[in-house]
Amino acid sequence: MLFQTPLFLIFFAVVYSVYLLIKGTRLRLPWLLVSSYVFYAWLSPLYLIPLAYATVVDYFVAGRIEAGSRKRAWLTLSIANNLLVLGYFKYASFFAENVNALLSAMRTPYEIPVPSLLLPAGLSFFLLQSIGYTIDVYRGTTKREKSFLAYATFVSFFPRLLAGPIERANHLLPQLHGAGRVTLRDFTDGLSIFVVGYFKKVALADYLAIYVASVYGSPQQQQSPALLLATFLFAWQIYFDFSGYTDMARGVARMMGIGLMLNFDNPYLAVSMGDFWKRWHISLSSWFRDYVYIPLGGNRKGKFATYRNLFLTMVLSGLWHGAAWTFVLWGAVHALGNFATRELERTPFYVRRLPTIVKQLFVLAMVTFAWIFFRAASIGDAWTIVTRIFTSGLSDPKCPVLVVVLIAAVWIYQYLFESRLRSILEIRIVRIVLMILLLTYLVLTVPAEGQPFIYMQF
Amino acid sequence: MNTDQTSDVTPFDCSHSLRLSAVDWIIVGVAMLAILGLAPILWQRCERFEPGDDYRMPYELSSSYWLYSRYSRQACDKRKTLVIGDSVVWGHYVPANQTLSHYLNEFTGRWQFANLGLDGTHPAALEGLLRFYSPKLRGHAVLLHFNPLWMTSPKHDLQTDKEFHFNHPDLVSQFTVPIPCYKAPFAKRARIAIKRTIPFANWIAHLRATYYDSTDIQTWTLRHPYACPLKPLTRGLPDSVGVPEPAGETWVQKGAKKQDVTWVRFDTSLQWKFFRRALDLLQNQGNRVFVLVGPFNEHMLNEADAADYEAIKTQAADWLVKNNIPFSLLRPLPPEHYVDASHPLGEGYALWARRLLEDPVFVRWIR
Repeated sequence: MLFQTPLFLIFFAVVYSVYLLIKGTRLRLPWLLVSSYVFYAWLSPLYLIPLAYATVVDYFVAGRIEAGSRKRAWLTLSIANNLLVLGYFKYASFFAENVNALLSAMRTPYEIPVPSLLLPAGLSFFLLQSIGYTIDVYRGTTKREKSFLAYATFVSFFPRLLAGPIERANHLLPQLHGAGRVTLRDFTDGLSIFVVGYFKKVALADYLAIYVASVYGSPQQQQSPALLLATFLFAWQIYFDFSGYTDMARGVARMMGIGLMLNFDNPYLAVSMGDFWKRWHISLSSWFRDYVYIPLGGNRKGKFATYRNLFLTMVLSGLWHGAAWTFVLWGAVHALGNFATRELERTPFYVRRLPTIVKQLFVLAMVTFAWIFFRAASIGDAWTIVTRIFTSGLSDPKCPVLVVVLIAAVWIYQYLFESRLRSILEIRIVRIVLMILLLTYLVLTVPAEGQPFIYMQF
Repeated sequence: MNTDQTSDVTPFDCSHSLRLSAVDWIIVGVAMLAILGLAPILWQRCERFEPGDDYRMPYELSSSYWLYSRYSRQACDKRKTLVIGDSVVWGHYVPANQTLSHYLNEFTGRWQFANLGLDGTHPAALEGLLRFYSPKLRGHAVLLHFNPLWMTSPKHDLQTDKEFHFNHPDLVSQFTVPIPCYKAPFAKRARIAIKRTIPFANWIAHLRATYYDSTDIQTWTLRHPYACPLKPLTRGLPDSVGVPEPAGETWVQKGAKKQDVTWVRFDTSLQWKFFRRALDLLQNQGNRVFVLVGPFNEHMLNEADAADYEAIKTQAADWLVKNNIPFSLLRPLPPEHYVDASHPLGEGYALWARRLLEDPVFVRWIR
């Protein structure tokens, strides 16, 4: 069930109506839990198995950790268990394929079977959230959740179940335990966020996706301008797709009086790669910071160790996105970009002399280059795209002017938003007119059939 | 990687946030209702549409139900009798001035018949067309055609369990009457059902069918990357004079042989069931209805199938008599007047009209 479909609107209308009726009662959490499980089972009832399994195990483990005996062993068990589930569904075939490639390279006659498993949508998101919870309980930064109902709702809360944000227990759980107050402002705020997210996904991301898919589907046949444009457009496509999803998730939760964390903050206005990761998929990057980078030593053990930790964290983050070498490379490219901007930030020229807009364009160029590895079907394709960008001839890219106009409009809006002219965008009439324009554009231009979200596959 | 602690950010401290209050939303809602309500009405004033004597829906706009609705409204204002049916009424192989409605007008000398045929409207779709897109039909005389072609196989009758693409899925029953070969998901059915009730949605579909190569504007821009997306709107409606497939030869000249036909049973036919529903609808809203059955090309049938067809005709006639509905069960036209199993040539339409005007029941009915 996707947010942008009529089916979800019907589902949410039912869930929300009942929720408003029972929000102040004991039925609130059971209703949220049932709704979340129905929402997830709609995709496939089998998906409920890993969800319920992870919930039960970590609820039990957190209890053992809090009890105090062999805390570290219980934490290790929880992490290993979650990673095992993730590895089984997400990485087993990748692992088997690579082992077979190695065996074949060694000219051995052996081959291990490659499993073909159905990857439950959103698995990586709720498992990471669950791991974060047990680590927080272990560290004592979060108290163990005593109510199984509340914990199960925390893991499965449907607005964020498929693609995050990856919530922290001390942020979401108190809200689930709260009085369940829903104000008119919650509703109108949630609706505002939802509509903007819907626009990003349906009017922008899905539109860009058609051009990007046509170019990336056959990179050997494309010339430099088309490849460059498609890569640039993919950078925006994935941003609109993922941030659009997040906005819709946050909008739905907000309408129920529950705040989910901000996941995107104008990432393409970042002035360094570090800044980019403070603005892009914030819930994931902060998760890797808190549970991988800092435990590895963070930046406390000298320059080499910092860069090593950064590199490992980025590569792991790449691998989290998908079981393919392209994602590993994407993470590595980001790590290298991070090193580069960190070093540049040590120079007075970069810090004081270089205009902000140049830094922003530089970071945007680096991030866009990295997206090649993320979007390409294989490393071979990625290499083809990179080489053809620099070596192939010039030909008409046949990219609709409307696409460029829309992206320019969004970029200018973001730029204004972060400038001193922001107050213009906060004028009431401007906001109303912009909302009418968004809705009019949607009803006039958008096709009936939508596309699934990119990040759901992770 | 984010290596610093980020502080909590309030929901609207990022770009792409358009925070609207309840009053703002009411203003937006009113504005959107005005846009949705007024745009199709204003568009009717901008888009020139003056159907002539032999007007019929342009073939390429067969899926523009908004235009059909607009034409139907005008036809109801100007003509006394509306001829409704599929491509046989529409005149698939003939120009607009050689159709049944044309000859009825010509031979009676009174321009009272309007061609409201729509290519591909099998009875299951016809019912939807009448129910949702014929707004001013109430009280008018309707000459309703039933093409027996739709009973010549379980597939034509939409009874196969295997899904296949048929004409006008947006017109068929989405929820009330199950159609075995129609397996659209719930979301699509809901979208279609909702679309029928919203003139704006039909108007958008009309714009897409008429000006944007039957696709949405975004996809159109991918085919015409440097064209202004508003420019096609200045093109105007296509005319309805052309013939999609000029007949050229008759079925005999084409060397077509007799065909094996698997007639579906009259009492279990889904298409006949939908035809009856269409009749009920018209009668319930006070229309005077005359039913035309045929003229099917019986020359193409072998003996056994011809006997089955006779039985179907008899059952149809019995049902129409029993329900007190005037009808004409047409004798087959001469073989050289057919292009295929059901479509006549121009001479065939003329003969059909003449025979109808010789039928005292019909003559009484048109008076």
